[in-house]
Amino acid sequence: MGTLDPILEVRDVSKTFDRVVRALDNVSIMVRRNEIVSVVGENGAGKSTLMKILVGVYQPDSGEMYQMGRKVPFPRDPLDALSRGISIVYQERGVIPHLKVYQFLFLGLEEKFTRLGRLQLGKIIGLAKSVFEELGLKCDLASSMYELPPSTQKMVEIARAILSVRLMVGMDGEAEIIPVIILDEPTAPLSIEERDELFNYLLNLKKSNSFIFVSHIIPEVMKFSDRIYVLRDGRVVAHHDLSSEKVTEDQIFREIVGRESYYDLWARYVYGAGAVEGRRVVLSVRNLTKKGYFENISFDLHEGECIGLFGPAGCGKSEIAKALYGEIAADAGEILVDSRKVKLKSEPYARVKLGIGYFSGETGKELFLFWPIRKNVSIVNFDKVTKRPLKIISVISFNAERSLAEKIMKKLRIRAPNVETECYSLSGGNKQKVSVGKWLEKSPKILVLEDPTIGIDVGAREEIYEVLLEMKKNGIAMILVSDDPKEYAILCDKIISIRGGVIQATYTNEEFRRLMGL
Amino acid sequence: MAQAWLSREWLQRNINTIIPIMGFIALVIALRMANPYFLTSWDSVITLVYGMSWFLIAACGLTLVILMGSFDFSVPSVLKLSAMIFAVLYPSMGFSSIIVAIVVGLIFGFINGILLARFNIPSFMATLATSMVAEGLAQVISGGYTRMITDPAFRAVSTTMILGLPSIFYWAIVVWVICIFMTFMTPFGRMIYAVGSNIVGARLAGVNVKMVRTLVFMICSLLASIAGILYASQIQGAHMQVGVLDMIPLFASVVVGGTALTGGVGGVHRTLLGVLIIRWLDSGLSMLAIDLNVRMIIFGAIAITMAILTIDRRRIRIMK
Amino acid sequence: MKSEVERLKIGSVIAASIWRLVKVNPAVWAIVALVVIFSALVPDKFLSTSNLVAILKNFAVTSMLAVGPTFVILLGSIDVSYMGIWMFGGALVWLLYPYLGLASIAIYPIFGLLVGLFNGVVHVKAKVPSFILTIAVTAVLAFLTTYVRNISGVLTLIVPAYNFLRESPIPYIPSPFLLALPVIVLALFIMFFTKLGTYFCAIGSNEEGAKLAGINVEKYKILAFTLSGLLTGLGSIAIFVHLGCQTRVDFDPSELVRGLAAIVLGGTPLAGGMGGPHRTLLGALVYVLIFNGLFLLPGVDPNHLKLYVGTLLLGAVIAASRALKGALIA
Repeated sequence: MGTLDPILEVRDVSKTFDRVVRALDNVSIMVRRNEIVSVVGENGAGKSTLMKILVGVYQPDSGEMYQMGRKVPFPRDPLDALSRGISIVYQERGVIPHLKVYQFLFLGLEEKFTRLGRLQLGKIIGLAKSVFEELGLKCDLASSMYELPPSTQKMVEIARAILSVRLMVGMDGEAEIIPVIILDEPTAPLSIEERDELFNYLLNLKKSNSFIFVSHIIPEVMKFSDRIYVLRDGRVVAHHDLSSEKVTEDQIFREIVGRESYYDLWARYVYGAGAVEGRRVVLSVRNLTKKGYFENISFDLHEGECIGLFGPAGCGKSEIAKALYGEIAADAGEILVDSRKVKLKSEPYARVKLGIGYFSGETGKELFLFWPIRKNVSIVNFDKVTKRPLKIISVISFNAERSLAEKIMKKLRIRAPNVETECYSLSGGNKQKVSVGKWLEKSPKILVLEDPTIGIDVGAREEIYEVLLEMKKNGIAMILVSDDPKEYAILCDKIISIRGGVIQATYTNEEFRRLMGL
Repeated sequence: MAQAWLSREWLQRNINTIIPIMGFIALVIALRMANPYFLTSWDSVITLVYGMSWFLIAACGLTLVILMGSFDFSVPSVLKLSAMIFAVLYPSMGFSSIIVAIVVGLIFGFINGILLARFNIPSFMATLATSMVAEGLAQVISGGYTRMITDPAFRAVSTTMILGLPSIFYWAIVVWVICIFMTFMTPFGRMIYAVGSNIVGARLAGVNVKMVRTLVFMICSLLASIAGILYASQIQGAHMQVGVLDMIPLFASVVVGGTALTGGVGGVHRTLLGVLIIRWLDSGLSMLAIDLNVRMIIFGAIAITMAILTIDRRRIRIMK
Repeated sequence: MKSEVERLKIGSVIAASIWRLVKVNPAVWAIVALVVIFSALVPDKFLSTSNLVAILKNFAVTSMLAVGPTFVILLGSIDVSYMGIWMFGGALVWLLYPYLGLASIAIYPIFGLLVGLFNGVVHVKAKVPSFILTIAVTAVLAFLTTYVRNISGVLTLIVPAYNFLRESPIPYIPSPFLLALPVIVLALFIMFFTKLGTYFCAIGSNEEGAKLAGINVEKYKILAFTLSGLLTGLGSIAIFVHLGCQTRVDFDPSELVRGLAAIVLGGTPLAGGMGGPHRTLLGALVYVLIFNGLFLLPGVDPNHLKLYVGTLLLGAVIAASRALKGALIA
């Protein structure tokens, strides 16, 4: 077998969910020995569905799989995949913080090291040591996982994936099997230096393993991959072999984003960059710092202005947003709302009183799924729906609640039978509309947006953007954090680029679009 | 969403209501059959009212805590401590001893709330510890002896007859109605449900979670205190056995009413039915001369069964 | 590099973990401090042979209540059914003795195992919060015990035939302690030399991560409850013997708190993920020393036991609450 023959290949894989949503449409990819193959695409492009098919979590509707040139069935479950040499390192939640390194390394694999019910600790630790030596990992086996820096934790997870393949396949036995390790957004929790450390580690491991690297961070994909597949809307739209062709970051970016569908959408909504100079400053942030996440963040936000915090995942942008809203506490610096100082440790309720609102697209995070729309809307609008028959008693008026919710439903075109509909029965887009709708009438001074349109379809996005732009026109200032550059182009007047927790540059909307090629 | 009446889905959604009502009807029929004098004389009605009024007050407080997704083991102990303080201090202080008893109750509630909200100690653990302290204090102030108060004024608080029913009944109904009003008609009540339904969401929507938790624990202990004071007045004094066997029936009456242990589902209005079922069942069983211990076993079994039936499994990701 | 190789041998892993234990565990310092304080205040009483024997006995009892449930606490759940297993198990021994003879003591571990299994299955499958579930089970079993006593018309459920177990073959070492030793060894073995200890920690530390690592979380949760019941059942034999071959017949919450207090004082956080029976043993010793010494002091009224126990538990949970920061807890 030549080195260029694929060790793992899938052809024409299709997968449909609920008979409607086409997650994958005739996707074919292959992996050669000793290479790093990247699969890039934005959220919802089908990356994770593909990976879950490779490790046996999902079964495809159609398609074929080949290993070492032989046609094989798709793996039934993760264990089956493991015994065929395919293992996955999940983006998050994979690490078990309180276990010792050697315990974590062999978690779930103890069967092979048990004699008469007794764990052979000596053997385990010996093997762990030799594996660490071979992979060039340096850390104390007896320390707990949470004591290790994030990059080392990731490396131990990767070592664990390789080790489990070896133990399941029985490496020294029959025909050689080269482990294929899938890394799902491995760099998300890491700082810049830690990422380099991780990649050097991967380049070293390439000698005996192959990797599928799932990411949406283009620069690192370009730097370390041998080949790149670009996925968009469930299809492979491009395939580049970096050893033989020259590709630019811009080109890949454009392929990820696509020129159809909602490229037009943002173009329709691009904000006419207004002059903010004359307007009142509603929020000033001065040298805001949280150790390990962000440092010396300073900016001014004007009435009716939207500032985007832009950067790769894990750069600290979402932590800044959370610190502004009080979900987490910053260590040092100043937050001033209308030139009044905000206590850094104060809870979200205190920020709401000062006029800061928060909206995240993460389903079920801030929505009360089992409450009717009416109650979900009024939870921040008690002042609008209550009466005070006595000074100290405020009473909710159900009629006022209902008419408030109806008003918001009409304005946002929320598709539901009535205001008493429980939110869990709504579609993703309508859930999001309820979440954002509650702020519509509250009209806070500042609205913090975190991934406002994550996981919803183009039509619903358009409607959410319309609402947000309307609110902005009415003078509400906004902070946006998102993974989608187009969202910044649609909503933001100013974009602050953040890397490794520090401000790199500030762009206007036009500059940003030029830079991004939008 | 409107489902067809009696469809499977409708049954599933309304199981919290159906079971208590069916249970109550079945219980009344069974009691009638076992005892032909049940509810026939006004005296028997008054006995039942005495049996459940103070109990309802304490159960309302516990319901609020369970609605929030927490638990309070200190209810019977605080009840006992307040009754004891009232009875011990009454000879020297008169009715101002009520204030002392209530303040002590509020302090216990405050400590419970702070332990949960500020120190992040699971509420059952925190309240178990404070309940021991309350028990111990009751022992210390009473010296372990029964305190009898023969002053008719002391008794009058609970036993004055108004329209044929003792005043403790009206106290209980007033507390119950206020609690219903508070949970359904005020923002604070909405916040209690919010914390019980989705605590992260409640925090992000600007609910002061710590304050709500502390206040609800304080209200719960306040109601336990009031229940204790009224109970002391009803039985003309206090002794160390007050409240000892009340935790299981209290817990049972809250979940039998249809309030789920996971929080956010149910309400104080349901607790009345739960209290009726548990207290009437209790008196029915004791009429049949069934051992107290067996009654407790029955209540424990009912409580666990109802807890299993009312928990809404859609909402749970990880159960500890 | 060479020194690291040596350190990682089994023996030295244990040595290192003992060193860590001393370093990270305030319970060790508490034990030292308590011994010093009481030796200074009441040397003649505290250091007398009879008192030291009493300490050993009480240590055996307290640790037997707490060692089993520790495995459940590792999961982040709580199991307080030990009180019920101990009480009603004893009633069962008494009931079955006329039929089974001396073998009836074997009902203890069997009953413990069954109760644990029941707890585990109901908690995992029906998703009832573990604390409420197990405290209800304990209450039901305790009332059952009292009921058994009431209907049989005796004062105590004593089985004098086991009196031979009260004689210790070794002078100064009380027999409850000797009976407790195998249970302690078993618990430590399970914790450190089988995969179970690791799995329980993994589930308590990050349940989703454990699932991703291919662990059958539900199975091991049920196993933890079953193990807790079994160990409590075995340990109850030591308590049974300690009380003069009988069981308690009336429910006393301060006994219930004893087990929990030992676990919390030992430093196993209620959130789960770390700690283990070794810490619980230290916690049990702290608990025993505090109460042993306290009642030797002049002016301390044993009638106020509940007040002291409650205050101690309160202090212990507050001290242990550091580990719970950040989580949103019910």
